[in-house]
Amino acid sequence: MPFRWVKSPFPKGTYYFSGNEAAAEGAIAAGCRFYAGYPITPSSELMERMAVRLKEVGGVFIQMEDEIASISAVIGASWAGAKAMTATSGPGFSLMQESIGYAAFTETPGVIVDVQRAGPCTGQATKVGSGDIMQAKWGSHGDYQVIALSPWSSQEMYDLTLRAFNLSEQYRVPAMVMADEAIGHLRETIRVAPKVEVWDRKKKRGTASFDIKEEDGVPPMAAFGEGERLSVTGSTHDAYGFRKTDDPEVHARLVGRINKKILNHKRSIIETEDYLLEDAEIAVIAYGFTARTSLYAVKRLRKEGKNIGMLRLKTLWPFPDERVAEVGKKVNRIMVPEMNLGQVAGEIKKCVPCDVISLTQTNGEVIEPEFLIETLKKI
Amino acid sequence: MTEIKQVRLSGFGGQGVVLAGLLLGQAGVFDGKDISGSNSYGAQARGSGCKSEIVFSDGPVDFPHLTIADILIAMSQGAYNTYCTDVREESGLILYDQGFVTPKDNLKVKHLGIPATEVSVKRLKNRQVSNIVFVGALIEATRIVSPGAIRKAISMHVSERFRPLNLKALRVGMELGREFNG
Repeated sequence: MPFRWVKSPFPKGTYYFSGNEAAAEGAIAAGCRFYAGYPITPSSELMERMAVRLKEVGGVFIQMEDEIASISAVIGASWAGAKAMTATSGPGFSLMQESIGYAAFTETPGVIVDVQRAGPCTGQATKVGSGDIMQAKWGSHGDYQVIALSPWSSQEMYDLTLRAFNLSEQYRVPAMVMADEAIGHLRETIRVAPKVEVWDRKKKRGTASFDIKEEDGVPPMAAFGEGERLSVTGSTHDAYGFRKTDDPEVHARLVGRINKKILNHKRSIIETEDYLLEDAEIAVIAYGFTARTSLYAVKRLRKEGKNIGMLRLKTLWPFPDERVAEVGKKVNRIMVPEMNLGQVAGEIKKCVPCDVISLTQTNGEVIEPEFLIETLKKI
Repeated sequence: MTEIKQVRLSGFGGQGVVLAGLLLGQAGVFDGKDISGSNSYGAQARGSGCKSEIVFSDGPVDFPHLTIADILIAMSQGAYNTYCTDVREESGLILYDQGFVTPKDNLKVKHLGIPATEVSVKRLKNRQVSNIVFVGALIEATRIVSPGAIRKAISMHVSERFRPLNLKALRVGMELGREFNG
């Protein structure tokens, strides 16, 4: 099994970390030993901490000339055998999209932390938003899958960055931590366990790195320098990485497999959390910082006698459609508060028969509890 | 029932509002509390409005930002004017810098005037430690964190060169807190 328990490199205990610092520690705990990045508000503290920590643990840190170079260096490091990551915000995330498609098609593990700010474009650098959710899934061309997680606390910046590495290694796919400014800059009590669960990519000498007959659809991954014959290309390729740019069967099989290897494992990838949903007539479905506002609002309204609950999406891609559909069958209405113009609300509407109310806010501020409570009272 | 105390430190950029917030939050973690801390400051490094908010809790915090202050520290008149009405009535407490702030007399909130900047300049010979004087006064008046924890937090986050000065400022602040509390 490629799964193992390892001693946490950070001493067990409680800490007072910002989300960005916690994400760096989660990465180190997962075994990340390569970081390439270009600093950008509001993600820069993550890079600053990696610069210090990678030196301490014997890793490599490079500041690149831009985000295109950063993600490309991450892909290169991954093929050299390292667990690698970068972090950015919206403008840098946009630049990375082409290479994220390359990573998905070449089945390259790697983690991207996107600390979202108010976009589009350069927008408001120090302000919050969550407008990159659709981009995470659809930012590159063609049909491919990624994994995207949504932390709601500093603790989860640690936990979910670690998990992003594990999923990325297990499924050979780029994994994203879709944080936002409010979480990246939030300082909270963090508990670091003495041991963490870590996955490493499968290896098997003498086997193809780009196809596999086994059920899970994830081939073992060689690294350059290990003595295997290895060719990595973003063009359609056969099991051994040779370009096959006019064979319909090879293309259909490859595109099919890189999608199915994620979608067939949705149940083990997707995590959601229920709050007070048992007898709820109204469900709030939320993610990221807004789920904190929502939980506060839901608890307050419960005290006032309203039958309301919350479903929190810890995984955004692959989309938790089955769980959302189950909730949609039980409640009369769903409210989806988001710091964008309804990106996840649109996905939810595809899954449920009931009313879906999209509550949107794009002013660079978090959605405040009183505003959400007043809005929920009216429905 | 989870007990939650919400503290807002405010002033202008350069007064050390963010550092004071960091120290209080860190001390809270040392005391075993669940802390959520957030800062807000303008794009300018100095001179613009600045605040640091810390939520102290015995258990997990749902909404991590401050909703209403139990305690306000106002280091400038601008900060006082902006936030003085957003403090819980009756049980709330406002600490303000006597040299900078003229308090309003129509608020139903206990006020403590602290001559933080004055003692920083006269007794500590460095006006930049008025933030720590406030932290000392706050701790003495409320015991929101333990004195041991705040000393540990200062040792952790303040560089060695300025550590003795900051620890002294803390002691002076605690004396002032005692004086004004008693």
